Amino acid sequence: MNQVVEGLAPQRVEAVRRPRLDWPLRRVIGAAMVASLVLLALLGNLVIPGDPLEQHLYRALQGADAVGVSDAGEVITSAPLGYDHLGRSLYHRLVAALGLSLSIAAGAVILAAFSGISLGLLAAGRGGWAERLLSLVADSLLALPGLLLVLMVSVILPSTPLALWLGLSLVLWVEFFRLARATGRSVLASPGVEASRLLGFGAWYRFRHHLWPEMAPVMMTAMAFGMANALMAIAALGFVHVGIPEPTPELGTMMVELLPYWREAPFALLTPVLVTFLLLLGLLLMSGSKARTSTAADTLEGARP
Amino acid sequence: MNVATMTTPAYHTRDGATADDVVLSAEDVSVRVQGAQTALLEPVSLALKAGEPLVVIGETGSGKSLLAQALLGTLPPELVASGSLWLDGEPYPLHTPENRHPLWGRRLAVLPQEPWLALDPLMKVIRQVGEAYRLVAGRSAQASHAAARSDLEQLGVAAASEQLPGKLSGGMAQRVAFAAARAGGAPLLIADEPTKGLDAARVSEIGELLLKSLAETPRAGLMVITHDMALAHQIGGRLMVVRRGQVIEQGATRDVLAAPTHAYTRRLVNAAPQAWPEAAFKPAADSESRDGKAAGETIIRAENLTIARGDTTLLRDVELSVKGGEIIGVQGASGCGKSSLGDALLGLLPPHSGRVVQHAERLEYQKLYQDPVATFPPRRTLGRLLKDLSARHGLDDSQLPQLMEQLSLAPELLSRLPGQVSGGELQRFALLRLMLIKPRFVFADEPTSRLDPLVQQEVIACMVKMVREQGTALVLVSHDAALLRKVADRVLVVEEGRLKARQEI
Amino acid sequence: MNLPSRLLQLLMVVLMVGGASYLMMQSLPGDAAWRIAAGRYGYDALDAAAAASVRAELGLEAQGGLHFLYWLGDILRLELGTSLISGESVWVEIRHQLGNSLSLAGAALGISLLIGPPLGLLAGLRAGGWLDRSLLAVCSLLRATPQFLLALVLILLISVEMGLLPAAGHGEPQHFILPAMTLALGLAAVSARLVRDAMAAVTQTAFHDFARWKGLSNAQTFWRHGLRHVALPLVTYLGLQFVTLVEGVVVIESIFGWPGIGHALVHAIFSRDVPMVQGTALVLGVGFVLINLLVDLLGRQLDPRGVK
Repeated sequence: MNQVVEGLAPQRVEAVRRPRLDWPLRRVIGAAMVASLVLLALLGNLVIPGDPLEQHLYRALQGADAVGVSDAGEVITSAPLGYDHLGRSLYHRLVAALGLSLSIAAGAVILAAFSGISLGLLAAGRGGWAERLLSLVADSLLALPGLLLVLMVSVILPSTPLALWLGLSLVLWVEFFRLARATGRSVLASPGVEASRLLGFGAWYRFRHHLWPEMAPVMMTAMAFGMANALMAIAALGFVHVGIPEPTPELGTMMVELLPYWREAPFALLTPVLVTFLLLLGLLLMSGSKARTSTAADTLEGARP
Repeated sequence: MNVATMTTPAYHTRDGATADDVVLSAEDVSVRVQGAQTALLEPVSLALKAGEPLVVIGETGSGKSLLAQALLGTLPPELVASGSLWLDGEPYPLHTPENRHPLWGRRLAVLPQEPWLALDPLMKVIRQVGEAYRLVAGRSAQASHAAARSDLEQLGVAAASEQLPGKLSGGMAQRVAFAAARAGGAPLLIADEPTKGLDAARVSEIGELLLKSLAETPRAGLMVITHDMALAHQIGGRLMVVRRGQVIEQGATRDVLAAPTHAYTRRLVNAAPQAWPEAAFKPAADSESRDGKAAGETIIRAENLTIARGDTTLLRDVELSVKGGEIIGVQGASGCGKSSLGDALLGLLPPHSGRVVQHAERLEYQKLYQDPVATFPPRRTLGRLLKDLSARHGLDDSQLPQLMEQLSLAPELLSRLPGQVSGGELQRFALLRLMLIKPRFVFADEPTSRLDPLVQQEVIACMVKMVREQGTALVLVSHDAALLRKVADRVLVVEEGRLKARQEI
Repeated sequence: MNLPSRLLQLLMVVLMVGGASYLMMQSLPGDAAWRIAAGRYGYDALDAAAAASVRAELGLEAQGGLHFLYWLGDILRLELGTSLISGESVWVEIRHQLGNSLSLAGAALGISLLIGPPLGLLAGLRAGGWLDRSLLAVCSLLRATPQFLLALVLILLISVEMGLLPAAGHGEPQHFILPAMTLALGLAAVSARLVRDAMAAVTQTAFHDFARWKGLSNAQTFWRHGLRHVALPLVTYLGLQFVTLVEGVVVIESIFGWPGIGHALVHAIFSRDVPMVQGTALVLGVGFVLINLLVDLLGRQLDPRGVK
């Protein structure tokens, strides 16, 4: 807006002076949802110990009350969410699946963020050939669907979790690279950085006090988005049978396994569906930007060269 | 002068004027934040007579723009206006802004601030003028196009008519915006800071434009809101001075400016560089001491320097040598390479050819920026930033309180973030930062062009004091010839890619 | 981006897909021959002899140092080879599947454009209103729902519970509805938000205000000074969206048994059919670059200010 709202200046100053970390309610709710699911993944097996792979075929698709004594006479560990089609404890499969997906996704986001940010800042700082080459690689990766890249990596590498981790990192770093390069470019060219340099401050000071404050909120949002995208990809691959192989529990695989038993045991199918949905919703709420996708952000950024 | 007696509803007559003369009148215009009690603008009444302009002056934040926005119905939604407006005797209550929407372009023309932002960046200039003729004045497509073309010709921007606004200079954009604003045929023109961001030469062009259209249009009214005293003087007519939401003085513009009764108006009038006392910023006026300074050692020298960015050569054959305690003014239009000169002198831009000789240590060459907010790390308090600086260079910060007092900076400002103090305060902090380092050379790039005149005067005074006391060499860049003439020992002008001494000094 | 950098991008995409495919080929373990033989003859007829004949026929063991360059040379001569599974030329296979995928993707894109941008425009014009807020909620929920999950929900509700539409199949118009809707809802959610944000941003600009002050009505201002500024990010976005669309197609086709390029890709990965994977990846990558070249040209029409 071009109209200067004269006389509003004092109120504006007040607004700025409020504490830095005031997340809106939406973000707090999202963070709480994510935190509780992470806790479930970490502590679920400690609170109620059990084995996600142990089968009790006679208990297939039974509810949580089907607790009793095994063939051998020993007391079977309880399964608070009932059993799947092979009589495995849904609760423990869910906990294990959640743990696996979360660690792969988090690992991929961390690797991607670290390499993306460093390369992005390198490109912004160096310019010239380094920047052109890195941007070319990033743009070209953008031309290939992420799932396709992950799938190709999964053929090349022997272990599926490793392939998912590296494949997802390969997909995700591009976003961090682009954001870091864009922020880096504008901040490094700003009078503030120049002034600090003239005043004799070193590179670390300029990064810490000029670059990072500008970059941090954007990167946090990108990390939450990246996490959500990685989790979606893992589940989607599981759902179409090219993800983490059986019998390791995985959210997408669980859904597709339980789909045929929808009529008999709707709750068994709903559990992984609900967990996946809540996890993704929590991450998106936490990211703090509305329903905006990273692609939309790129577009807007790209539309104004 | 008593404000209360100025109430002039349209149906009254005043000073022997007939009601027919008054084209716009407003009574008890006030503005407050929705739901709040305190007014941002206290009740004001005014009348606009045909052919007689009204100028409203005041500093940023005084409420002068709120007055215009309240009359036009363009206040942001969180603000509410009250009072009433009469146009040719028809009343329009101000608390419903929608009642003025149908008047835009037809009876009320609005000249925007920063016109380069007000023109659609994706539409050719001529179509932006033509569409108002077509859709507002209801002319045929051909007639609209012809009218737009002739307008642009008259304003001297015909060459730009097929271009997009991004290609226009600030002055051209303002003339195009003027044509577009007037095309709908509205006789009353309200211009809010129409010269903001324009060079001094452009300012008087816009002033002429406004006066010409006032004289040529029958029953025309003109209201200009500005903080530029030169423009106020040029427009003439009647004047209102607004401060902190109150009208503190009004009368005939020439009378008020010549003999302001209110102390604030007097300060405001005197804050314009033209009005600064001649010798205030010069070293003790006798030539002896001046020669003494001139004998000071040379801090920086440019020899046969040519400056280029990319493939464009900006300045060639620059010969410049600056001594301690000396102020060199550099004047030139925007984009002429003044800032690149600074970068080259400070070693931020390698010279294309020739060389820069610095006679002191690297740290002793510093710069003062146009926009101080952009030059401080955003998330660290000013106190911490100053500590960082003294820690980095092992400086003695015991003199800090004294320096802050000299610059009239309150100690409690130290706990604020750079974005939480005013532009003038922050620029003085930037100066303070430099004074701690005691640089030998400072390149000040339009350091006050974004500040109000009163604040500008204060900052310039602080800067000159630093130069004279610390024996700093200063290159002061500005587009304001009057300011440089009052402050600098020598003034150089950038013309046709060369740095020349100004003739008339 | 300009034409030369698009060409570079094209080259780089080919290089990356070729490199990845070569690595895939290299990393195929000895039992790849068994796998392929199984895919070809069925697990019942599988024995060491069949595997050995496959290995010999495909030259899986004869890998020289220069092999990678030959490999790339083949790609540049558009020699994509034959599918390891069907023995059919990769071009023939892809041509067959691409049509199916394009019709599905086209239908999805069409539906999403009918839903998303109009809703976004309405919401953006009244930013903060009830439509804006409910659209935000719906979009957030849709964004948090992966496409396979949406497909699952639609199949369960509409096919299984209501029995209105077939869950899988291809050929009849009613087969289009569920997969296309699944793809379209996700796309519409994002484009609606994008358009909404762009529209809301345009109404905040000085030139939008000034157009009103010139005397133009709200509708005139919208048509003359709003729409083009909203179309610009939308068009750019649609170019980038192509990848998301393809990604959706991969998953959706597998779920609904749609005989398209995505379905084929998943099968090829599953059976390590490297020539098919490479061919599909090349078509998708090159398609992306070409579509974005068109988007660049269209963008220049909409925004003649030109790219720096």
